[in-house]
Amino acid sequence: MFKKSVLALATAGLFTFPAYADLTINGFASIKAGMTMGSDEQLYGYTDDIDFKNESLFAVQVMSDLGDKLSITAQLMGRGREDFNAEFEWAFLSYQLTDNMQINAGRLRTPFYKYSDFKDVGYAYDWSRVPEAVYNLDFDNIEGVSLYRTATLGSFDSTLQFIAGSFDGDAVVTGLTVQAKIDQILGATWELSKDGISARLAYLVGKTSLSNADVDGLVGILAQSGLSAVASAIDVDEENSSFMGLALSLDKNDWVGVAEITRTEVDDSLIAEQNGYYVSLGHRFGSLTPYVSYEKRDNDAKREITNMLPQGVPVQLLLGVSQAVDRFEVKRDAWNLGLRYDFHPSAAFKAQVTRVNNDITNDDASLITLGVDLVY
Amino acid sequence: MQIIKIAMLIAFCGIGAVQAEISVIVNPANANAVSADDLNRLFLGRASSFADGSKATPLNLAEGQVSRDEFDSKVLNRSSAQLKAYWSKLVFTGKGTPPKELADDAAVKAAVAADASAVGYISSASVDGSVKVVASF
Repeated sequence: MFKKSVLALATAGLFTFPAYADLTINGFASIKAGMTMGSDEQLYGYTDDIDFKNESLFAVQVMSDLGDKLSITAQLMGRGREDFNAEFEWAFLSYQLTDNMQINAGRLRTPFYKYSDFKDVGYAYDWSRVPEAVYNLDFDNIEGVSLYRTATLGSFDSTLQFIAGSFDGDAVVTGLTVQAKIDQILGATWELSKDGISARLAYLVGKTSLSNADVDGLVGILAQSGLSAVASAIDVDEENSSFMGLALSLDKNDWVGVAEITRTEVDDSLIAEQNGYYVSLGHRFGSLTPYVSYEKRDNDAKREITNMLPQGVPVQLLLGVSQAVDRFEVKRDAWNLGLRYDFHPSAAFKAQVTRVNNDITNDDASLITLGVDLVY
Repeated sequence: MQIIKIAMLIAFCGIGAVQAEISVIVNPANANAVSADDLNRLFLGRASSFADGSKATPLNLAEGQVSRDEFDSKVLNRSSAQLKAYWSKLVFTGKGTPPKELADDAAVKAAVAADASAVGYISSASVDGSVKVVASF
């Protein structure tokens, strides 16, 4: 298919040839251009000036089969918004325990969402981008170990994954840049499918610590003012956190439907409970797939934290707390209308129009994105 | 419009010989039955053994071969673009690699004749005594 085996020529026909270090190189790329349709509108990193860089990316993946069921995989990716500076998106060892069971260890993609594993591989789905209302957790990759198992249960195909690991790095949480550390991440995902219908469940837990100069400063002032209960309700210090996701998809008679709903919670912290969902429906007409999708994000700020402040605290402090808490309130939804056109065996052209309504800031914006996704 | 339809029909008949049915073949030493479901699982990387538990090595024809398109649409029920999207999901997550591809019927037949674990497909017209047919589509 799009496999390029370096040694394939040398070994063509030699099926009894002993194990050798077979190197497989694959890659994918997206070249996207986008612009918002009104002046002053900003969305997903785009402005009303056309931009070719923001969502474009190039990636190369190298898989080396070391024989005896052991292989090593590394994926190097350069994103336009980071000036195409290539980084190891992931790198892991795989060991095939049995025909249907595999262990991966190293830097892995966190399996939050249905499309987490390949959300950068635009070719693998019809949209111009995965729905932002759901795909917004900024902990894409973790260091750890994962067990992946496929099985057949009656007439159902089952895919089960267990993962354990940790995250340490910079992240953006609801627009706030933080230094994040998530320890003791444990999770499981289970996908069942039959005849083009599938359901996927994901549940992950961890201990989250987030650090940001403004928040840390506020927590310090509260603690010094003898308001340690409020300080501890705000700070994000080894807090129990959980992620839950459910996805349903359908691919039948050229209809393609997907829906996914997720909830993220970080206990005992200023981070609001985060809820998101989307529904998408498309229809394949040969090489053309038009689709429409709706997505919504609905996070209620934890105002109860502000209410914990006793009467008579300085107005500055009251304001500081309520602003810190309220910034996690998100109410926005979006409609997407788009088209995928498979114009080449390895490439798809996509066009998508997105209209976002933000109920908090009343910043509505429309975005048009055109691009080509390819695999090689 | 009618003329175009007729022209297409004639063109279709013209390539009828090439569009002939395909045969799924295994090594003559392989006694397993292979159903369409089994083929789906083997060629989509969801299983890697035959009914008796012995290892199965699926072999694809190269893209562009007529029998490949036939197999993709009749047995796997997917277009080549859908299959490429499907495999890109597995390949770029380290969860699977597509079956090895061989250039033509002769290469698949030779490989199946030489390997007891191999399962492939070729145009029925290319079948001979060196391989065993387990299904036709």
